[in-house]
Amino acid sequence: MLIGIDTGGTFTDLVLFDGQHVRTCKVPSTPEDFSRGVLDAIQEAQPSDSFTLVHASTVATNALLERKLARAALITTHGFRDVLEIGRQTRPELYNLATTRPPPLIPRSLRKQVRERVSATGDILQPLNEAEVEKVMATLAKQRVDIVAVCLLFSFLHPAHEKQIAAAARRHGLKVTRSSEVLPEFREFERTSTTVVNACVSPVMQTYVKRLARNAKQTGARQLRIVQSNGGSLSVHAAGEAAVHTLLSGPAAGVAGALAVARTALQTESPQVISFDMGGTSTDVALLNGDVPITTEADVAGWPVRVPMMDIHTVGAGGGSIATLDAGGALQVGPESAGADPGPACYGVGTRPTVTDANLVLGRIVPDHFLGGRKRVDREAAAEALAPLVQRMNMDIESAAAAVIRIVNANMERAIRVISVERGHDPRDFTLLSYGGAGGLHVCELARSLRITRVLIPRHPGVLSAWGALAMDVTKDYSRTVLQVDARPNDRRIERAFQQLETQARRELRKEGFPDAKIMLSRSVDLRYAGQSYELPVSLPAGRFDATHRRAGEAAFHAAHERRFGHAEPDLPVEWVTLRVRATGPVAKPQQEPIQKGGRSAQGARLSKQGDVDVMDRERLCAGNEWQGPVLLVEDFATTWIPGGWQVRVDKWGHLHCTEMQSA
Amino acid sequence: MKKTTPNPADLTFFANLFTRIAEEMGGVLARTAYSPNIKERRDFSCALFDGAGQMIAQAAHIPVHLGAMPLSVATARAAFPKLAVGDVVMLNDPYAGGTHLPDITLISPVFGSAKRQPLAYLATRAHHADVGGMTPGSLPLSREIYQEGLRIPPVRCVERGTINQAVFDLVFANSRTPAERQGDLRAQLAAHTLGERRLLESLERYGAPELRRQMSQLLEYAATLMQATLKQIPDGSYSFVDQLDDDGAGSGPLPIRVEVRIRGDQAEIDFTGSAPACATSLNAVEAITQSAVYYCFLCLLVTPSRLHPGRSSLPPINAGCFRPIAVHAPPGSIVNAEPPHAVAGGNVETSQRIVDAVLGALAQALPDIVPAASQGTMNNVTLGGIDTRTGQPFAYYETLAGGMGARPNADGLHAVQAHMTNTMNTPAEALEYAYPLRVERYEIVAGTGGKGTYRGGNGLIRDVRMLNDTHAVLLTERRTQAPYGLAGGEAGTPGDNGLIRGRQRKRLPGKIELELKAGDVLRIQTPGGGGHGAILT
Repeated sequence: MLIGIDTGGTFTDLVLFDGQHVRTCKVPSTPEDFSRGVLDAIQEAQPSDSFTLVHASTVATNALLERKLARAALITTHGFRDVLEIGRQTRPELYNLATTRPPPLIPRSLRKQVRERVSATGDILQPLNEAEVEKVMATLAKQRVDIVAVCLLFSFLHPAHEKQIAAAARRHGLKVTRSSEVLPEFREFERTSTTVVNACVSPVMQTYVKRLARNAKQTGARQLRIVQSNGGSLSVHAAGEAAVHTLLSGPAAGVAGALAVARTALQTESPQVISFDMGGTSTDVALLNGDVPITTEADVAGWPVRVPMMDIHTVGAGGGSIATLDAGGALQVGPESAGADPGPACYGVGTRPTVTDANLVLGRIVPDHFLGGRKRVDREAAAEALAPLVQRMNMDIESAAAAVIRIVNANMERAIRVISVERGHDPRDFTLLSYGGAGGLHVCELARSLRITRVLIPRHPGVLSAWGALAMDVTKDYSRTVLQVDARPNDRRIERAFQQLETQARRELRKEGFPDAKIMLSRSVDLRYAGQSYELPVSLPAGRFDATHRRAGEAAFHAAHERRFGHAEPDLPVEWVTLRVRATGPVAKPQQEPIQKGGRSAQGARLSKQGDVDVMDRERLCAGNEWQGPVLLVEDFATTWIPGGWQVRVDKWGHLHCTEMQSA
Repeated sequence: MKKTTPNPADLTFFANLFTRIAEEMGGVLARTAYSPNIKERRDFSCALFDGAGQMIAQAAHIPVHLGAMPLSVATARAAFPKLAVGDVVMLNDPYAGGTHLPDITLISPVFGSAKRQPLAYLATRAHHADVGGMTPGSLPLSREIYQEGLRIPPVRCVERGTINQAVFDLVFANSRTPAERQGDLRAQLAAHTLGERRLLESLERYGAPELRRQMSQLLEYAATLMQATLKQIPDGSYSFVDQLDDDGAGSGPLPIRVEVRIRGDQAEIDFTGSAPACATSLNAVEAITQSAVYYCFLCLLVTPSRLHPGRSSLPPINAGCFRPIAVHAPPGSIVNAEPPHAVAGGNVETSQRIVDAVLGALAQALPDIVPAASQGTMNNVTLGGIDTRTGQPFAYYETLAGGMGARPNADGLHAVQAHMTNTMNTPAEALEYAYPLRVERYEIVAGTGGKGTYRGGNGLIRDVRMLNDTHAVLLTERRTQAPYGLAGGEAGTPGDNGLIRGRQRKRLPGKIELELKAGDVLRIQTPGGGGHGAILT
């Protein structure tokens, strides 16, 4: 038996698969201790057997956002303890005289330096002084730190000094995380930041998973895995050691769920899908070109975190986004949000107009069925909140509400253009897949503005992330910078570095319980034209590295450069910068469950009418039903608005396929 | 065209659309460029202009390009009144649309269906690490512009889509690092191609008349916003004098004198009484002075304050913002130099002092909004020579962060770029891969920010060891004239330059050219920001 659980800010979602049937439930999250919500959800689902629990957790992310972090210290090469604070020396906003920066994650009093130096060629210029290290450790032990982050210059070329310091820290009873392990890649600020984030969130994660594991065991959990940002899961032990890999746990589970649904619903292993998850305050979008998208250039809560993560683009546009008119008379929607508290004006507490209020005024929310009928919404309050806008914009209330929707859609459209058009993909080649609470109200109009003609709305869109947690394998990523000053790394050196990464990968996946024969390894590399500063990742064919692999990698790079930037320079030398290995251990995954078959007519699902628009109950739809918009579909945790001009078909698994009909 | 009330949703929608195009051009340029200047430090700007050459959107990169980019477009339009599809104009002449020679600007027209009158122009300006001249890096302590490098008047470098190789070859032949120039210019061209493609997509979707209408409404809208802000400033005349340390050739302090006159929703900024143009390169051309003034007023427009209550998002930044602002810079002065004066440092240093002077004046009108002086210099360090590891010449240019001035209600930030620049640093590890240099220290210097109710931000110190014999040029300011405090706050600590050779330590002047030996360490300490408010005891 499998259980997937995704903890969000408001709800904790669960999906249970007993080998045949799928059950879902949603319980309130418990922010003071999220593990309680997880246990509540399990209790509600009442598993009849012992189970494997895969959990998407926001514990690390919340700790970072709220700065409820472990007390960490940092050890750097002498002269570089302020790298963490100086960053890239830019101010956050160009024209804002009041601009601020969050204080560094580790204060200067806990940033220590040691005399040592490795050169850009990996040679030791100054050996580490053990006595000095001992002295620093003794001080840190007295300063009662929880964990020590070690980040020395060029440690990815020569990690011996960092290892020595780590050993000394352990001798003093201190936990430790070192940059040559977390991110053995060049650029000291980004590496330091990533390592420091890991130091600050890992102890928090450890405490959380220990408590959760203990309690979940009593409910029947045999095994507990945590969803990582890269779209794979990992044992709780490994997750607690390297919690920096879980910062995007929830959103990554959502995208993994989108991929799993798309593979089934579109009946292809490599679906082309743009995932669209609109919530109360923000919207996450990702482009899946046959697989989950990965980036190594992400920032989280303003800090560079350069481990591989799902490439998810977030904008401050959601159901709670607030609409305002500025002094020059332009309508703005978001990024300010009414969130869940006070919430949209129609909840009866807040008074500022939001996207949800605009949807309600336009008749796209069915009051009796909002959040399964559990939340009362007041159209009068929504209209009242919009009134000042209506007056100043000098238009009727429907037009004003439509203008609010247009702007929030434009913000989301721009987010999708960033991940598609700007990276060389034409959105028209993709299916727009919507999930989350608010997405269904916007997805068809959003698709239209991007000229996307196919929309997919999965069954149970409100718990897709919990499903995604069950749809992923165990994966780990490994990397190392191999850039050389004077020459290109030769084939032998590259093969040797790959082998070292793979040996480490096998060792760690064996610890996760996979026999060698089951472990899958794939190689990729970050390349750039000699002299450039940004690399593009390309995957490499399997097998011992030789000239053929080099040629294949470079050919793929030229093509990727052309696609992304509009030009390629096949005559220029290509630099091999960072090697990457991804290790995968396959696990059992749930099957999607077919729904009841029916005829073409969807009459049976008809519930009522709102104005001229039919309201249908999504739970009563049958496979094979087909009809045309406009229609409103209600279900427990989502509403879907299908405007006129769209054709809807229900597939075998209950997913909705919406197609824009060619206008005559 | 009939003037209609703009649709509030249109304003936001199209402002975002045009800004996004400029930003996307910037993304391509940063990611495909070759010199660390552009790719690591982002010393470039991309902008979109309407058919009349008015700036519609600029990617927020470098404020010093604000006033200068429109002048580049105007110059290109005047030189080539009949640009065709696929043409690109190149220029860098500070006396013809440029700012200083390393900034090479490309301008290209984008046409709608009417092929005679461009719908829009695109411009990219990037700081090239070397364009020739007397020292590697092309930021010399020069006496006339002819020493500063290759001067490019407006030339058509691409004609109807075909590259005019002769123009490019001429540029390459005049640079110490031609391969880098080639890569950087290619990246600039790629940004233009991308920008044009995006604009044509919008054209297909909305049509030329609609785009034109939206552009003109956006200009109008921005002007309205700036006027609303100016109206909140009490009418009156506010004067301030700040000074540059010296010209590096024996002059004393060089005053920048400004009078800011606010009347209703209009502002006049008058530099009468500023020093005459100086003997070395610290002269600003008029475009730079305009940029610096525009920057100050954009800050008032953008900073959340009582000047515009209740606003939740950023206003668009376009030429409309500058309509209510008039700048008077007397010809022949240090803020409006004439040929053949040297200008390399006006862009990077004098521009900062102009901002300090204008903000000093505005602080009298808006004491609760305007901060004390920030470091007021870019701390330009240029190192060049032959890299013995490869036998190839190298030219490395860097600017260093310093302390930010304290705000009326908050401390200044430590170690950030001030006002007219916001370029990133080059990571030590990237630097040591690329150049025969080693960074030995990169730290914040405690106590360098001025004391006050709110403290100025601290400056930083950076030690760089030469691994080869290296030619160095330092073009730094605020080594004697400290960044001022306000409302009783103390001034920040001035910066300090030093040379460590073996056991000897020597103080270096703010502006100097010198030959460094392998093993020498160059030490730069940057100024702290001024404090704000009386020191609480």
